Amino acid sequence: MSTLHVLSHSPFGDDRLTSCLRVIGAEDALLLSGDAVYALQPGTTPFDSLGTRGLRLFVLAEDAQARDLLTPDWAEAIDYPAFVELSIHYDKVNSWL
Amino acid sequence: MRTGLLIEFVMKFAIALFSAAHAPSSRRALLFAQAALAGGHEIVRLFFYQDGVYNASSSVVTPQDELDLPRQWRAFVSEHRLDGVVCIAAALRRGVLNEEEARRYQREAVAIAAPWELSGLGQLHDAVQDADRLICFGGA
Amino acid sequence: MAKSLLIISRQSPWSGPSAREALDVVLAGGAFDLPVGLLFLDDGVFQLAAKQDARALQQKDLSANLQALPMFGVDDLFVCGDSAAERGLNPKLLSLEAAQVLSAGEITALFNRYDQVITL
Repeated sequence: MSTLHVLSHSPFGDDRLTSCLRVIGAEDALLLSGDAVYALQPGTTPFDSLGTRGLRLFVLAEDAQARDLLTPDWAEAIDYPAFVELSIHYDKVNSWL
Repeated sequence: MRTGLLIEFVMKFAIALFSAAHAPSSRRALLFAQAALAGGHEIVRLFFYQDGVYNASSSVVTPQDELDLPRQWRAFVSEHRLDGVVCIAAALRRGVLNEEEARRYQREAVAIAAPWELSGLGQLHDAVQDADRLICFGGA
Repeated sequence: MAKSLLIISRQSPWSGPSAREALDVVLAGGAFDLPVGLLFLDDGVFQLAAKQDARALQQKDLSANLQALPMFGVDDLFVCGDSAAERGLNPKLLSLEAAQVLSAGEITALFNRYDQVITL
């Protein structure tokens, strides 16, 4: 059983990313959307912890584009049709509301 | 001509929305729902809970140059004849009533009408049982 | 067979209706005899602090409803031990005795036992 975790809150001043990284499993993936894509701001603690973690990481392309954030080569930018496909590929979706 | 080798799976989605119409997550929910149908999948139910009930409100007035999400939701649900359920307890708490509830509680404002339906949390569980996937949108 | 649903409650009891509305989802599942589980995570563990006074804020007491969960057929109750420890709560002194205290690894395994999940 695998889970797609979805974050939409900024990692700065919020503990969702920390808690998510604590419980995410080896078969799971993480999708950053909304302000959660600020985790891709280079030179920050969230950026470094995601980069060294080696997990399957996806980014909602429109949110990265709006914030002028580049998608590093250890992440994949996706659109809505790909988001739908991801939600099918994984057994369940856990959105950290 | 298509051969039988390519089998396309139709997935059944239950989509739950927990944030108000002005939250970015409400727009994401709509775009996800549109993409799901465009991909040939099925939406067994939309369920609006917590602040998500505001997305079904006809009382929201959006400035002309901004995205009118309640109107888009209404058009989407009507066009595709979807089952759009608004949690009655969450709606009452937030003052988003249909005609029946406004009469029952003697309130003047009616903000919920067809295609939306007010119902209980059982409808969320029912949708989870029917669907292959539950997808929640909310927060930021 | 009925699909199982894990509800994760992450909000403090005094931050608005979120904690109560998460509990309502759990109770509705119990009322329909569905296999639901409830995990208290992050600030959600504050719902289980032993001594709270709802009257001080003119609120209804959530803890009475939490105690009643097993009566509503909801026995799968879990607490994140790390969340409790980080917040200065002794996981052994929480108000919900029926709740199992889980490590991070056990929570990862818990996810795999449920068909779908809602985090509120």
